[in-house]
Amino acid sequence: MIKLENVSFGYSPRKLLYKGLTMNLDQGKVYGLLGRNGAGKSTLLKNLSGMLFPMLGKIIINGNEPRKREPNFLHNIYFIPEEVYVPALTINRYVSLFAPFYPRFNRDQFNKYLADLEVETTGKLSKLSFGQQKKFIIAFGLACNTAVLLLDEPTNGLDIPSKKQFRKLIAGIMDGDRTIIISTHQIRDLDNLIDQVIIIDDGKLLLNAPVTEIGEKLMFKTVQFFAETSGSLYTEETIRGISVVVSNSKMESTKVDLEHLFNAVTENPERIKAMF
Amino acid sequence: MNNVFDTRRFFLLFRKTVLERPMQLIGFTVLMLSIVFIIYAFFKSMGAIPEGQNASFMFGFAGGGCFLGAIIFGYFNTNAKGAAYLLLPASQFEKWLVSVLITGVFYTLIFLLFYRLMDSFFVDAYHKKLDPKSIYYTELRDEMQILPFDGFVFKTTLMMYLNFTGATMLGALFFNKASFLKVALIFCGLLFFSYFLNIIVAKMMMSGVQNAMPYLWTWIRINDAEGRIEMNTVVLNVWQYCAFILVPFILWVLAFVRLREKEF
Repeated sequence: MIKLENVSFGYSPRKLLYKGLTMNLDQGKVYGLLGRNGAGKSTLLKNLSGMLFPMLGKIIINGNEPRKREPNFLHNIYFIPEEVYVPALTINRYVSLFAPFYPRFNRDQFNKYLADLEVETTGKLSKLSFGQQKKFIIAFGLACNTAVLLLDEPTNGLDIPSKKQFRKLIAGIMDGDRTIIISTHQIRDLDNLIDQVIIIDDGKLLLNAPVTEIGEKLMFKTVQFFAETSGSLYTEETIRGISVVVSNSKMESTKVDLEHLFNAVTENPERIKAMF
Repeated sequence: MNNVFDTRRFFLLFRKTVLERPMQLIGFTVLMLSIVFIIYAFFKSMGAIPEGQNASFMFGFAGGGCFLGAIIFGYFNTNAKGAAYLLLPASQFEKWLVSVLITGVFYTLIFLLFYRLMDSFFVDAYHKKLDPKSIYYTELRDEMQILPFDGFVFKTTLMMYLNFTGATMLGALFFNKASFLKVALIFCGLLFFSYFLNIIVAKMMMSGVQNAMPYLWTWIRINDAEGRIEMNTVVLNVWQYCAFILVPFILWVLAFVRLREKEF
């Protein structure tokens, strides 16, 4: 369980990125953290991992305060930053030096993830391409089997087959004890992967709702005429017509379009707040 | 699991720290020892063994220590490296202790051992070259001895090593990029500031001040005579206590405090 109580954070006390952020994140779910560039998605992940400390409020993750960076907490959390660091070591040497810090690290799983992501296993890690290095760190992070996994823009630098493989891996490792938070601005990469959507904008939490609930309350459809868009939360002209996000008063079942949802939420925060 | 210190975890961290960057730590130590050897050999070839002893000792011990101090916490020049270091499941105390052990104990022991062996070798070679029948033999032999580890040069260098290394370790945790240069600039600034402040104060209090070295002596001229006023023993003891114990202790402990509070 991850609890944020009235968390305020900013790189300068005069310009806060978050003001009084409060939310609870449950185990057994994949969260998609969405926000504009500079909204503070990475900053929030850094606060959760203990790299940055809240100015006000408290963060509690499975009973631990991240800011203390205690080993008990750290061996249960793995943070994959947008840019990864790999030393000039072979994979075997890396595993022998880093894996012992993670009690639930599983070598067989690690080998499988490397194979699934098609990571080159010969030579030094520092000689691999950025995409290969990132896939290596993703495979290592997943194999650590930590209770909390934080991924900051994990699909940046991955090719299309690797993105697909990444989604498959994340879906495959989920169990009731894990919490995965994925921050991204490449919303389509999270399609069919996340259980719950978190949208932050201008220092505020605009939405924290399960995808199923969003599907029940909102409808995502394409219409042909502007007359059909009245009362919509969001409209966008496309080749096939006009994509709209409207209230799902007829309880129709439609697929949640994360990109349109994001735009609808950021353009109508008050209406969304009233609905959820 | 103990959240402050665990022997197994500490051993793993020590092994990881050394083997993760072997070129930076082991390679650097080997490089420093090689440079020390070259400096000593260069001065010896010029027939200036005492100068070679002093220069190589000061460069290797104080210089090497403070370079290593900057390297040991040099994880913060990229986001990814900093995150990997701070979030590695070991306590802040263990991370600090590993750095202090490598910089403060292992480097010191390796350097002193190497230096003593090298010094003995060069001095012995010099002694062997002397002609035992020469009337100056005893004088020349006694004049050239291995650098004593309780002499002025050793003590001064030790004081520099303790302070500079503490400062660069702390600096690496404050400045994420080019920390060594920034610390060096601050140190030089402080040195100049204290030097000129000391002269100004000395000139305000005494006439005929020629020079004043913080905080050991003042060189004054009265009529045609020149002389040195030395700090009295009590104040000198306090100054030495500060320079050898208090300031280094504060710097090295502050590195731990800073590591605990480090945000990145």
